[in-house]
Amino acid sequence: MTTIMRRTFLGGSAMLGAGLLTGIGPRLANAQTGEITVTAFGGVWEEAVRKCFVAPFEAKTKAKANVSLGGPPQWLAQVEAEPAKPPVDVLIMTPDLALTAAKADLVDDFTVEKLPNLAKIPQQLTDSVKGKGTLFDYGVSGITYNKDRVKNPPKSFAEFVDRVASGEFVASVPSISYAVTPIMLIWSMAQALGGGANNVDPFFKAMEKMKDNLVFWAGPNDFFNHLSSGEADIGIYFDGRTWNHFDSGATWIDFINPAEGGALNGVAVQKPKNANPLAWQYINEVLDAKNQEQFAEIMNYGVTNVDVVYSDKLKPRITPWQQTQFPPYEEIAPVRNEWVDRWNREIGR
Amino acid sequence: MRRDWINIALAAFVVLFFIFMLAPILVVVVVSFTAAGYVAFPIPGWSLKWFGNIFAYQPFIDALLVSFQVAIGATLLSCAIGIPACLFLARARGAWAGAIMTFLLSPLSMPMIVIGFASLFFLSWLGIGISFTALLITHTVVCLPYVIRTVAGVYAGVPRSYEEAAAILGANPAKVFWHVTLPLIRPGIMAGSLFSFLTSFDNLPISYFFGSSSTNTLPVVMLSYLEHQFDPTIAALSTLQLAMAVVALIVVDRIYGIDKMTVAG
Repeated sequence: MTTIMRRTFLGGSAMLGAGLLTGIGPRLANAQTGEITVTAFGGVWEEAVRKCFVAPFEAKTKAKANVSLGGPPQWLAQVEAEPAKPPVDVLIMTPDLALTAAKADLVDDFTVEKLPNLAKIPQQLTDSVKGKGTLFDYGVSGITYNKDRVKNPPKSFAEFVDRVASGEFVASVPSISYAVTPIMLIWSMAQALGGGANNVDPFFKAMEKMKDNLVFWAGPNDFFNHLSSGEADIGIYFDGRTWNHFDSGATWIDFINPAEGGALNGVAVQKPKNANPLAWQYINEVLDAKNQEQFAEIMNYGVTNVDVVYSDKLKPRITPWQQTQFPPYEEIAPVRNEWVDRWNREIGR
Repeated sequence: MRRDWINIALAAFVVLFFIFMLAPILVVVVVSFTAAGYVAFPIPGWSLKWFGNIFAYQPFIDALLVSFQVAIGATLLSCAIGIPACLFLARARGAWAGAIMTFLLSPLSMPMIVIGFASLFFLSWLGIGISFTALLITHTVVCLPYVIRTVAGVYAGVPRSYEEAAAILGANPAKVFWHVTLPLIRPGIMAGSLFSFLTSFDNLPISYFFGSSSTNTLPVVMLSYLEHQFDPTIAALSTLQLAMAVVALIVVDRIYGIDKMTVAG
């Protein structure tokens, strides 16, 4: 019995392996004309990209857009490795990496001639990535809280710091292991408390005051767990993610854009140099008002085309980008490591 | 009497240790059956919908297939390269044999993210670029040491006289390998293949750099999903992966015996 099982197993495994390996062939011959590779984050993001941008692009051009899931550091490394033949034709980037790509001259300039819909995107958002891309979607990091436990939430960062320091709340804030922490917490709070990119002392003083009433989240799901389990009452988080939790059934959650303005966390779209020219038509769809409206409706995040009209459900949720603080990424980049080092020495978590 | 207390304390320690190790996994398993649309523990109600969601999200299915293909491919290639290398190096004399063995095992001492990043640039320079072939080559590099380490360990314990006796009795080298050596090293091959498969299947740092619309593996898609989605689908997927690993271990145990493989490792 055992012998038969063993032989069956080995034979079956060999056949399965050989069969699966035949999948290599078609992959090597996958490149076709009239086909581009675009990028997206996973989950609802990917579904929204397919529905709002890929579908209209394919309908208008009759070309195919393959969606590659992953993250900006991965795509940037891939373009750097093959700049003459980039494996992706459209990049979705965080602003800091978009600036890195722009400075390394890996991406093309955005002009209205190539992208008619660019005329409807505020110039400041295109300038923020040196004109080599533009922001098409954004979130705001502000104060998210549990309505059941916090009846009178703080309206500003300053009030947040004072009330957490006094022990009125336990707050959950991003730990230094989270990539955006230097922007969404260190710079944002320093700016709100009278400092800035060149002076983050106000932030570290605030953390010292609050230290007995803080817990730290390493990833967005940790934050939600802190609030749902009661480990924290309030914290620093994103608006869109807050509303996604609300729509998933966590109706006890709410968000406030602090009076000083929360940090804007934009998502940039870029085209690598030497990418398929069809990418311009796809990016034009990304910047289209109707497509962006649909995208915002699914994602609960703000979008940047000035012609976009948000639905009644979305209107009170979206913070206009003008009411946010625009992080000075170029000023932050050279001092970012210094902040991380100071965090490790003074906060350590 | 004192001995009884020591035994009770030891048993209590072992139980607590297992609870400490298994509790986080059990929480994930329980959460995968939640009726809520978000991850929270304890769960408000029971549902199987997140398991259904795995199969409704096509990138998971595509990535699962790629993960199986690359894990099986890298394991077969590791065996094809590693077993002959072991048979030769284990009996070879001289410092160079040790040096080659160390070289073959060296990916174990390198951070995988460094191997992934370096391989991306090197293979792109060679013109292989972001492709299934590149993914397979890089996975084979990191899976190879697991096959070599286990097969070499088993083969070193096989007396040379067994093969010599077969040769004296008239068996040619191919027959000696097929009828004598292979049956003796088979537990090592199975153990090495199992480690190799699991190393490849769970790998994120390497697969991350070679991800594309047709080469994304399951861990890459899971990470991307987890960063932007809050529902318990990832918990359900983790439970499914756990169940697959347990079934694989049971099958391998029935066929070869985990004890033999542990000794081999």
